[in-house]
Amino acid sequence: MLRRTLISLAPSLALGLVEAPARAADAGPTLTFRLGEDPETLYNVQSISLTVAEVLGDQILEGLVYLDRKGLPQPWLAQSWSVSDDQKEITFKLRPGVKFHDGTDFNADAVKFHFTAIQDPQNASPLLPLIGPLHALDVPDPLTVRFTFAKPFAPFFTNLSLAQLYFNSPTAVAKYGKTYGRHPVGTGPYRFVSWNPGAEIDLERNPDYHPQWRSDAENKGAPYAARIVLRVIEEDGVAAEALETGELTASNLTADIIPRFVHDPGYKVIINKNVTNLLFLEFNERRPTFQDFRFRQAMSYAINREAIVQASWSGYAAPALGPLAVGIPGYDAGVVAKYGMPYDPAKAKALLADAGWKPGPGGLLEKNGQKARFLIKSYAGFTAIDRALAVIQSNLKDLGVDATLQTSDWGVFYPSLLRDDWDMDLDRWTWPDGAVLTQLFRSPGHRNSTLPDPKVDSVLDRCNTLMEPTQRNVCLGEAQQVLLQAMTIVPILTNWTVIATQKNVLGYDLDFEGGLIPGDVHLAKT
Amino acid sequence: MSTYILRRLLLTVPVVIGILFTTFLIKAAIPSDAVVTMYQGQLSEQDASKAIAIMRHKYGLDRPWYMQFLSYTEGVLTGNLGQSIRTRQPVIKEIGYRYRNTLELTFAAFLVALTVGVVSGVVAAYFKDTWLDITSMTVSLFGISMPAFFFGLVLIMVVSVWLRWLPVIENGWQGLILPALTLGLIEAAPLARVARSSMVEALGRDYIRAARAKGMPESVVVLRHALPNALLSIVTLAGLQIGSLFGGAFIIEVIFSWHGIGELAVEAIQWRDFTITQGVILISATTYVLINLVVDILYTWIDPRIVVDKS
Repeated sequence: MLRRTLISLAPSLALGLVEAPARAADAGPTLTFRLGEDPETLYNVQSISLTVAEVLGDQILEGLVYLDRKGLPQPWLAQSWSVSDDQKEITFKLRPGVKFHDGTDFNADAVKFHFTAIQDPQNASPLLPLIGPLHALDVPDPLTVRFTFAKPFAPFFTNLSLAQLYFNSPTAVAKYGKTYGRHPVGTGPYRFVSWNPGAEIDLERNPDYHPQWRSDAENKGAPYAARIVLRVIEEDGVAAEALETGELTASNLTADIIPRFVHDPGYKVIINKNVTNLLFLEFNERRPTFQDFRFRQAMSYAINREAIVQASWSGYAAPALGPLAVGIPGYDAGVVAKYGMPYDPAKAKALLADAGWKPGPGGLLEKNGQKARFLIKSYAGFTAIDRALAVIQSNLKDLGVDATLQTSDWGVFYPSLLRDDWDMDLDRWTWPDGAVLTQLFRSPGHRNSTLPDPKVDSVLDRCNTLMEPTQRNVCLGEAQQVLLQAMTIVPILTNWTVIATQKNVLGYDLDFEGGLIPGDVHLAKT
Repeated sequence: MSTYILRRLLLTVPVVIGILFTTFLIKAAIPSDAVVTMYQGQLSEQDASKAIAIMRHKYGLDRPWYMQFLSYTEGVLTGNLGQSIRTRQPVIKEIGYRYRNTLELTFAAFLVALTVGVVSGVVAAYFKDTWLDITSMTVSLFGISMPAFFFGLVLIMVVSVWLRWLPVIENGWQGLILPALTLGLIEAAPLARVARSSMVEALGRDYIRAARAKGMPESVVVLRHALPNALLSIVTLAGLQIGSLFGGAFIIEVIFSWHGIGELAVEAIQWRDFTITQGVILISATTYVLINLVVDILYTWIDPRIVVDKS
């Protein structure tokens, strides 16, 4: 199973807790979390994978800002910030007295060090898009950093709240050199102890933890649990069994095993619907058929999203009618209700007829001698995707459209979309910021297959320059409207995160971006 | 004898190089590599191609496959297996303790297979055509037909989830029990059948009748006279089985979260991390060849009639 990375596919980290035999010196329980894969490195400059982000971001490293319950950026290791009038300069004041786990100071140089590392071509860092048109980074004094951008870059605050832009001790990076990725040192509530590659990562409570400044954390002091053990368990079935035996007191659940736990009084089930993923169908607009917006709209009316929700995710997902996932700040329910095009085969048929498609022999639609036979590509290895494709294929067949399905590994599928040998593709993306609309759908699109649409392009460009969150959200609402009217892509669904914990687990709460707040977790006394 | 061993050891070199050559050919035919898998979809097309070009150059993936093969072989001869592309760590370090884990699992499973297989085969042969014989042969038929991964999941369900005798996720010796049983019991089945048939044959020989006629105790007849003669075919099969145990460990490791080179290889293949895959192949092939060598040497010890050809 290819477990994918931050902006692409399925979240790969499941969480679990277990009370280990208490050691004499320990106060509080040990929490055991499940990792669905072994992280490739724990140096965030080198990776954008979700697993890496979860290990570092929840526990070891911290950043300048976090997103509060409403999705708005709040000061964390930064004390405050100001944005210049031309919106190109952002100046952060840092909190004094914050120390890395190795005892060195967290300061403006440490911030600068991280961004310099990302920009170093030799690191070939996958984080470059996160820093956008960053032009210069100045350190006027040890507790002040000033970012200067070539043009306003609105996604920056969300990006700063991601584990990829959290800070490592520059002293430790220099000390360990190439093996720093196996010895991460940050400012977070837990310190790195050891990593047995492929097996487990051990963390211990940071006894010198600074006060917890996050408003979404219940525990404002040092974390409750003494240790965290992250166990690599690749098989979902094994994780479910470990949950049943109590070796994991919590784990996230894949669609097929949710029913085993969801109605069992022995577990608490947490369902997070405020998620930032979207499954969608997109078009190769280099081909004339898909340049006709009536055809694209017909596809939206053709797809029975409720059937896919049931087949692919056992009902633990919500049909999506808008191009922005429901958990991304700026999602506009009003626009989606008004302009969304839900399942309605009759309307789909009418639109296709209007676009000139007439039934031919055997009911297969034809237009100017072209038969309605199309190739839909997607990525292999995920049951949910295979089942969604099957539903889509049968929905299209009902309209007289014959779809051929082709799936291959991500590393083959994704680059292949750059070639003009396909008609539609089914893709899934996870990203916490509205900038995802630009990255994917602004012409020429993420795969060079989207024709310029001046309405779409100009709105998206404008949204990316609005630094003030409420203004930006209004703009993103407009963007959702124009994307829906053009039906640039067909939104299908957003799947939920479902986690089961043993019933004695308390304080297991997720932040706005779906990360665990580890310092809050504790076990009820029995 | 020592020249024989030396010659056999030298013969492993072309075998291993041949295997590596084949893997490089396959690699050249497979679209996409670790760098593409890591960067595609993470960056804009332009940034991705830049990063991919830098990383490919760094790891020499931009050279033709035969050049990569030559420099890799050169590295191997000097003891350098290269660097994992995904983790940026030396391959030898990544394989390190996982190799020990896989060997542990293989030999634990081998002990299970040998003990269960030989004992039940001998018992079945001695009590030929009784209910003991029929039961053990029926059970072994199940063993031969059952896929290892399915048997493994059943064992986890029964032993860990229902009976709660053993933990599901455990790295120590407790974690070794279930995977070793799964692998060992499955491989015990063919051993039991071969042990039975060769024991049946041995027990029917004249020298057995002679031994019994001399009034020897049954235990001596069976264990000293019949078993050593039946041993040759058992050892032949057992030798082959160590190899298949080693291969079977790959699947079992994933099911039981046993952190061996099989689990590493599966992960590496998914990520197209070829330096790791090649390292695992190299180590496995060498191990396989060495095990076979040991088995061949064992032959001469078990059956003195087999002599190493001196010519």
